[in-house]
Amino acid sequence: MISWIRRSHSTPKPSEPNPSKPKPPERRPHTVSLIEISEMALEALWSNKLRSGLTMLGVIIGIGSVISISSIGQGIQKSSEESIRSLGTDVLQVVAGSAQNGGVSQGQGSLTTLTWEDAQAIAQEAPNAKVVSAYLQRNAQVVYGDENTSTTVYGTDLNYSSARNTFPASGRYFNAEELSSAAAVAVIAPTVQKNLFPTEVNPIGQKIRVQGEVYEVIGVMEVKGAQGPQDRDDAVYLPLTSMSARLIGNNSLMGVSVNGIYIKGENEQQLETIKFQVENILRLRHNIATPADDDFRIINQADILATLNTILGLLTVMIVAVAGISLVVGGIGIANIMLVSVVERTREIGVRKALGATDRAILSQFLAESIIISVIGGTIGIATGIGITFVAATAFQFTYTLSGSAILIGFGLSSSVGLLAGVIPAQNAAKLDPIIALRGD
Amino acid sequence: MMDTMVTMRDTMITLENIIKTYQMGEMSVPILKGIDLSIAQGEYVAIMGVSGSGKSTLMNIIGCLDRPTSGHYYLENRDLTTLDKDELAYIRNQRIGFVFQQFNLLPRATALENVMLPMVYAGIPKADRRTRATEALQQVGLGDRLNNRPNQLSGGQQQRVAIARSLVNHPALLLADEPTGALDTQTSQEVMHLFHDLNEQGITVVLITHEPDVAAQAKRTIQVQDGLVVG
Repeated sequence: MISWIRRSHSTPKPSEPNPSKPKPPERRPHTVSLIEISEMALEALWSNKLRSGLTMLGVIIGIGSVISISSIGQGIQKSSEESIRSLGTDVLQVVAGSAQNGGVSQGQGSLTTLTWEDAQAIAQEAPNAKVVSAYLQRNAQVVYGDENTSTTVYGTDLNYSSARNTFPASGRYFNAEELSSAAAVAVIAPTVQKNLFPTEVNPIGQKIRVQGEVYEVIGVMEVKGAQGPQDRDDAVYLPLTSMSARLIGNNSLMGVSVNGIYIKGENEQQLETIKFQVENILRLRHNIATPADDDFRIINQADILATLNTILGLLTVMIVAVAGISLVVGGIGIANIMLVSVVERTREIGVRKALGATDRAILSQFLAESIIISVIGGTIGIATGIGITFVAATAFQFTYTLSGSAILIGFGLSSSVGLLAGVIPAQNAAKLDPIIALRGD
Repeated sequence: MMDTMVTMRDTMITLENIIKTYQMGEMSVPILKGIDLSIAQGEYVAIMGVSGSGKSTLMNIIGCLDRPTSGHYYLENRDLTTLDKDELAYIRNQRIGFVFQQFNLLPRATALENVMLPMVYAGIPKADRRTRATEALQQVGLGDRLNNRPNQLSGGQQQRVAIARSLVNHPALLLADEPTGALDTQTSQEVMHLFHDLNEQGITVVLITHEPDVAAQAKRTIQVQDGLVVG
């Protein structure tokens, strides 16, 4: 029945005394390979799917939120930086100030204290101002034939193109003569062209109506793309004089009212100097004694950029820290389940030790379980985080590029969480006395 | 006559003045008070004693699961008292096969996987493990139960899986702790028959029991009482 023992058994038969029996050549136990340990760990986790899954959930949520929040933060920061840069960081914008009226701010540009003459004065008197451009701005209905669209109409002077870095792609911008004569000519931006004109019609030379006034299209601007939620190609440009006289008709005693003035310097470093010069010129012209009474505000894009970066950076760090806490909670969850699992499997540990498992083999097995839970959870978390980021990027229109560092950090975090969470339970398992472990029920 | 046999044969186990004392707080409780014992290769020995006699502690020491407080334990002429934990694990894995009262199979593993387990720790290649485990299960009459889990097997079948597991690394010594304690008379007889056959094949069998019927089937009985060998 059991003849197989005879051919493979190492003990000599009793009838053949063998006093100098050779000892086994290797007295050290075999180290179980990492693959084998991982297989054992996976089997154990698989046999308790619900528990493993729920334990994983903690890490999935933790890693998922860390990855998505940091990526969303980075994406928004990058996008807003890009959009602010595209406005030009070498440009100052002067707007009619948020004068206080009984404590209520009237909002930017709500007063008509700035005039075109102010802009001309700045151009002449501020030595560092390279380009000065005044503009009017209003939302208006624009009609061509049966088509109509609501868009932003700008009344500008000749310097607008170079101040804003935007130029006609076809046709031309209006000239000095058209500006001084308040000619009824318009330059449209691509979105307006798309909304009003069929593709086969060349808009140049066509007549459009802006708030009922007829204008001839003389140019189409180049495509500038979206800047955040704002479509910069949804605009119509008219001569400032024409818009002021025909559409607004709201001129103060001091001259042609404008909504704002762009001032471009030689470079970003000159902006502080220009700001100082502009403040003085405007205060003199507006008879303002103290800065507190200013009826204008000067907006520096570089300042906005710096402030925004600081705020977004801080906000991201704070939310990531909160997400990090959920990761810690996930790790505690793993540690907890592993502790319970070691107690439940006391007998198994005893059997394994009786069959020749070393403390190290038991330690690695339980450590592997904890790390595998965490790394699988981390992988799902990374995928979830990236998914959430892409959805957010589409919804909030910021550009997101998949960052390898986020993935590496996700893996690093999850494996260290697993390692840390597993150390104590695995040590408990390895230290179990096989006699007690075998006795325990 | 027994003495002459022992000297003629190679010795399997020699215990010299084995003392085991447990520390219970301030008090030290002696469990084994100086055991001298010799078991030859190929013997079939039953160690008997009532509960509390120290026979379980003796078994743990013979099985390298515990160390004596003092004294010397030689297995196959090698002094094991000087070995460290890992070396003892290696001895358990390579030289000793355990059979327990409660079978102690891993509940979520199949019969085949249970029998392969000692070979995992022996570092035997996977393919060989499967072949050897299948062979071992066939030899204990469970060739058609390879993929059953313990809860799909009867008590007698579970104990036979445990015996196949204990033999699969070709141990020199089979150590059985109340192997029939959880079995009915019929299956007990089958298991005892298996031990008899294994002993005929040359394996040294040491049986720990408190049942005289079971002990009677061994070729020699050692009585342990109050921490000492009394006969």
